[in-house]
Amino acid sequence: MSPRRTFFVLALVATTPALGGAQSILNGAGLGIPVDAVDARSRALGGVGIGLQGPSILPGDPASAARLLLGTVVMTARPSWVSYGRSDTNETGSFRGTDFPLVGVAYPAFGLGVMTVSFESVFDQRYHAANGVTVQVADSLLAATDSFSSKGGVSQVRLGFARALSRNVAVGISFGRYGGSLVRRFSRTFNDSIASGSLGQFQSGGYWTYAGTEVTAGASADLGTVAHIAGSATWSSHLEAKASSDTKGSSASYDVPLQLRLGATGVLAPGLALNVGLTRANWSVTGNGLTEGTSARSTLSWGGGIELSRASLLGRSAPLRFGYRHSDLPFSLTGSAPVETAWTGGLGLVLKQTQDLTHEALTQASVDLSFERGTRTDGPISESFKRMSVTLRLTGF
Amino acid sequence: MNRTKNLTVAAMVLVAVAACSEQDPTTVDSSLLPEQPVTVELTFPWGDFASNMAVYGGYGTPPQLGTGLVAKAFDGKLDARTLVRFASYPVSAVVKDSLGSTLTDYDLTFHGGRVVAFFDTVASEVPGPVTLDLGVLRTKWDVGTASWTMAMDTVGDKEPWPEPGAGPVESFGTAVWDPSAGDSAVFVLDSAQALAWQPPDSVTDSTTVVQGARLSLLTSGARLKLTSVALRLDTRSSLNPDTALVLTVGRTDLTFVYSPYPDPPTEGMRVGGVPAWRTVFDVNLPTTLSSPSSLCAAVRCPVTLTPSQVTYAALVLHTKKEDPAFQPSDTVSLDVRPVFDPSALPKAPLGSSLISTGVGRRLSASLFDGGDGTAVEVPITQWVQAVLADTTKTGSRTLALLSAFEPLDISYASFYGPNSPLAPSLRMVITAGPAVEHP
Repeated sequence: MSPRRTFFVLALVATTPALGGAQSILNGAGLGIPVDAVDARSRALGGVGIGLQGPSILPGDPASAARLLLGTVVMTARPSWVSYGRSDTNETGSFRGTDFPLVGVAYPAFGLGVMTVSFESVFDQRYHAANGVTVQVADSLLAATDSFSSKGGVSQVRLGFARALSRNVAVGISFGRYGGSLVRRFSRTFNDSIASGSLGQFQSGGYWTYAGTEVTAGASADLGTVAHIAGSATWSSHLEAKASSDTKGSSASYDVPLQLRLGATGVLAPGLALNVGLTRANWSVTGNGLTEGTSARSTLSWGGGIELSRASLLGRSAPLRFGYRHSDLPFSLTGSAPVETAWTGGLGLVLKQTQDLTHEALTQASVDLSFERGTRTDGPISESFKRMSVTLRLTGF
Repeated sequence: MNRTKNLTVAAMVLVAVAACSEQDPTTVDSSLLPEQPVTVELTFPWGDFASNMAVYGGYGTPPQLGTGLVAKAFDGKLDARTLVRFASYPVSAVVKDSLGSTLTDYDLTFHGGRVVAFFDTVASEVPGPVTLDLGVLRTKWDVGTASWTMAMDTVGDKEPWPEPGAGPVESFGTAVWDPSAGDSAVFVLDSAQALAWQPPDSVTDSTTVVQGARLSLLTSGARLKLTSVALRLDTRSSLNPDTALVLTVGRTDLTFVYSPYPDPPTEGMRVGGVPAWRTVFDVNLPTTLSSPSSLCAAVRCPVTLTPSQVTYAALVLHTKKEDPAFQPSDTVSLDVRPVFDPSALPKAPLGSSLISTGVGRRLSASLFDGGDGTAVEVPITQWVQAVLADTTKTGSRTLALLSAFEPLDISYASFYGPNSPLAPSLRMVITAGPAVEHP
């Protein structure tokens, strides 16, 4: 299969909403859980997707694509396994799913810079809730189950441009358009029958499509050969949720805060680098548009890790990575301050390498793997998760 | 290198396939559900949902049942007699000769026989042993149109029986059926009687030709349902006279005639019988609700009724004890179907059954005797939902109540009509709640 065809297939998979897997019960809070559109390398380093050495396609670091010399495709898949529990009700459960947070394409544009197109998940809103109730019909008390499902989320397609201004400085900008959709459906199913027959199911719900615009601008700089720093800011218009014509619920509009990111990598020793990053956004502005019972707050996420780039596996370069990440979650079901933390690790595998015109090593195909073990807490709600990220990167088509 | 790429792609596809075995985050936390809906029960009286009730009769004929009926003064008035026409006698039989060879014998001698009548022991109303009479019919009759008074009632040929009640007949004898001893009665025939239903070689006088047999009841106060009638011939073979054969002659026609024919009801609904009765009425469903208060507390009244809010809808009928002569003696299967073209009634075609079981709403026969006035419900939820959504296949708002199998039995089911205190009503269970909003 040619890289081009591979990309096409994987992009199709990634942009199929039905395959977007849910990863947390906290998806039910506000607009859901933010899906970090980062690759497996950044995940393994505990980073927030900015300030990594080397060219890459990272939506939060638009300048990072400036030094890509050849057409490049990246695609990330992220399966996760989650155990869930509530200390106040002793409820427990488990679930699993796979999402595709990022598919990106970069291509050098006539020597002016590098064009990028990316498809990203922004908010995951998939969850299911059920509750047993007793309903009085005439003289009978009937058992019924109320259930509610929320399927979908906010996604984004982004067009970007990155350019190296000098040997050490690069800038980038991208324009994104929110998309995606949400189906929310409530049903009451009667478990008991009345004398002359069974009762049908009651259903109500709605369908919303998302729209909005955002712009991300960023810059990066190499400080000699020992450090690399980067920063970016994202401005968004309102996130509009438009109800379909047959939806009784109303359309909604949400403020999306300015998001700021900073990241840096320092070379501690030959083959050993430290990456750190943080991102901040005041999501409390979004809380005004949310339904009662959900709170929003300002968030700060940070993380960092080390990369051993000289490690090898079976004679091929296989950098090892370890890190830790702490992320505030913007929306809460309980009014507390939800947090996600994780220990991370991973490695990269070079599948094909060649030499460019200057006899420098050029990676044509590689896979990055990351493994996370972490927890999410929101008041009495706690989740422990194991998550894997797989990023395929193909270059030179 | 291509192998490496292919392996990479395969790995990614595996990851993608893993997504297909998703388990959504699921909780029983009620705070993650929208505001609870309310479920209320509503009963609409006849005038609020239906009008223009009419009862039509004449659907189907007795021979369609494939069964017979005999009665005498049942409930003091019902008389019924079964008419049967036998098929041609067998002209050959396979027998073994004296040497044990299997041969076909074309020279058979019928030296006696029996007419055996089989009864439905459940559906028959019989107080004890009863006596039946077997008679030979010599009047020409038409199986599709024969009635108590008419032997033939086709468009071009109308002939009354010389005697009402499919008479006269030449009696071939009687038999006693004891319900406690078995399910059949046997009329023994001598050699001459056994040949009675064999067509003659040449017919010169049609009045002498035997036209079948009539079974009638001599004991009063009973009503018997015949499931079958058979003619069995004792036969001697010319190839081996010591071999005794019993050959069965099939029947070509089986019907029954009865009297009196029930009058159309002056009040109330009627379903079943043969020819069958149907009850037809127009339905005008309520589209908005302004009560009860529990509903209005949950959603703003008036509420426009939507299909998804109707979790249950049923016609509520009250059984009525009517003429005991035609009272059901077995389970009644009540069906309800939309009428395609009400203007073509009574010959309007009907749509599919609204009762999902496929065998109708089954009602015990006792509901029409000691259970007079018992409420029975006929669920029509899906049809009501389709009407509210305006997606009925026919667009018709007219319903017909009828027997699920038509015709099925001489008995019919009766229900109180619109002018009765026990008039039909519409019971609905409505579930409604606030609109589901975006988070």
